[in-house]
Amino acid sequence: MTFNSFAYFIFLPIVFLLFQAVADRYRWLVLLIASYVFYGFLLQPSLLAILAFVTAFSFLAGKRIDCAGTAKKRKQLLLLSVFVNLAILVYCKYLVFLAENLNLLIGAFSPGVSIPEPEPMVSIALSFFIFQAVSYLADIYFGITGSEPHPGHFALHMSFFPKLLQGPIERAQGLLPQIRQPYRFNYDDVRQGLLLFAWGLFLKVVVADRLALFVDPVYNNVEAYTGVPLIIATYAYAFQIYFDFAGYTNMALGSAKLFGFNLTQNFRSPYLATSCADFWRRWHISFSRWILDYIFQPLQMKWRNLGKNGTAAALLVTFLLSGVWHGASWNFVIWGLLHGIFLATSTYYRPYRKKLHKKLGLKNSRWMAIWQVFITFNLVSFTYIFFRASSIEDAGHIIANICNVYSNYTAIKTIGINEFITKDILIGNRKIVPITLLLMLSIIWVVYKHRDESLFTKPVWFRWACYYSLFIIIVVLQISTKSGFIYLQF
Amino acid sequence: MHHGNTMKKDTILERMSEVIRDVLDNDAITLTRQTTADDIEEWDSLAHITIIVAIEKEFNVKFNLSDIKPLRNIGEFEDLIVLKTGIKG
Repeated sequence: MTFNSFAYFIFLPIVFLLFQAVADRYRWLVLLIASYVFYGFLLQPSLLAILAFVTAFSFLAGKRIDCAGTAKKRKQLLLLSVFVNLAILVYCKYLVFLAENLNLLIGAFSPGVSIPEPEPMVSIALSFFIFQAVSYLADIYFGITGSEPHPGHFALHMSFFPKLLQGPIERAQGLLPQIRQPYRFNYDDVRQGLLLFAWGLFLKVVVADRLALFVDPVYNNVEAYTGVPLIIATYAYAFQIYFDFAGYTNMALGSAKLFGFNLTQNFRSPYLATSCADFWRRWHISFSRWILDYIFQPLQMKWRNLGKNGTAAALLVTFLLSGVWHGASWNFVIWGLLHGIFLATSTYYRPYRKKLHKKLGLKNSRWMAIWQVFITFNLVSFTYIFFRASSIEDAGHIIANICNVYSNYTAIKTIGINEFITKDILIGNRKIVPITLLLMLSIIWVVYKHRDESLFTKPVWFRWACYYSLFIIIVVLQISTKSGFIYLQF
Repeated sequence: MHHGNTMKKDTILERMSEVIRDVLDNDAITLTRQTTADDIEEWDSLAHITIIVAIEKEFNVKFNLSDIKPLRNIGEFEDLIVLKTGIKG
């Protein structure tokens, strides 16, 4: 079940009440069972079995690495256990892609011959919990953390339902100590969790899903559009994916907070980044830190004699793999490669850029920062063309036609602006739309400004006005299509 | 090792600070033994190995990934340099 489903609104309070009702030493068990029930709602028994296997295997492998006598033995055990984890991921997620491309290759040399293509498998959550298992094993190997002695606590670390489907990808040092800690009811945690959850729900069902009304008609039928509609849809997608994923993450963090857990914040205003490197410090942070710590750093270390070339090569490989992680398709490969190219290029020219800025006296200039934010946002948005387009051909059409000034302006009318404004239960009357929207926006602004703890220091009437407003806005302005979260597919 | 074996610990720290200021291009950085990468905004996963390699050059040593991964703060990094180079603390 997803966080914006009816089932979850029943599930979460039940788990919360059970969690409060049982003795402290059984609380982990309540959450563990709840997590498997939550995952079980996908009706994919094989996924449950894989989660259980990866958990048991990584638990035992972690112990073995910890106890191994020699450095050589430790390394062998690490490589073996990481290999098993990645083999499961490749088998479940990439086999179809590999077979298809292998058949293309075979077909090119000997037409008519092909290997049988396997049935595609559902792999929701798999890449997230396998990454978490790999980081656990690597951190034991590097002596960053010890192996977890309690199998139940480790199983909960792997499966905790708020972060199971789409992360954040938690480190052992971050989550396991919180699982071991005795729980004490904290009213502030609960109301902050609920507010975070509601704010995330708002970002998803009101903002992200509304932006999809622009994006989907264009991206699902790109041949019909040139110029301005393509630009609008691409920018709209940049914001849709951000609000979709940030909304999800807030709901995850809010759900976890109800039980007293603090998960990793995945976003820090990513579109205010002043460079692509800065973007990856702010976007999907738990994932970018994972690929940088476990892929980029070892490669950069290995290739350090090559200097900048080594760093650039390590960045290219890392972000290429990041693309592959997002999905078994060439679109994601190109998306990752583009980010790799941006970062690799900047390792060469960054020192010159800094010197130039110093000379021109632009180092701390506000205009320079705004210019950099603008450029970075456009580079990132450009890569989304590949991320969102249904095929390489579609992406090619968009790039070839996006700057076409003779664009078909009447097409703008067909890309969902009407739905954008009026697809609401109560404000069907066009005349009051501007007033209602203005009112809504100002309420949203107030809640946004106070969505952290500062809201709780305000007077009762103000707090409850905010809660009710947010609730009403979510109910009234939600886009009532059943939509999943974008990152669920990864 | 042109500075010789009489190097004091605080001067190792100063040499480290100089290298890190240079790599991160921020003259305001001052290190203590308690400083962690999280305390310095520019010191992120992308910059980490670049810093390590610059330190390797400065002190003419080679680290393994398993030497540097467990380091929790500058103090432990300094101790590692002392251990590897034999510069007296």
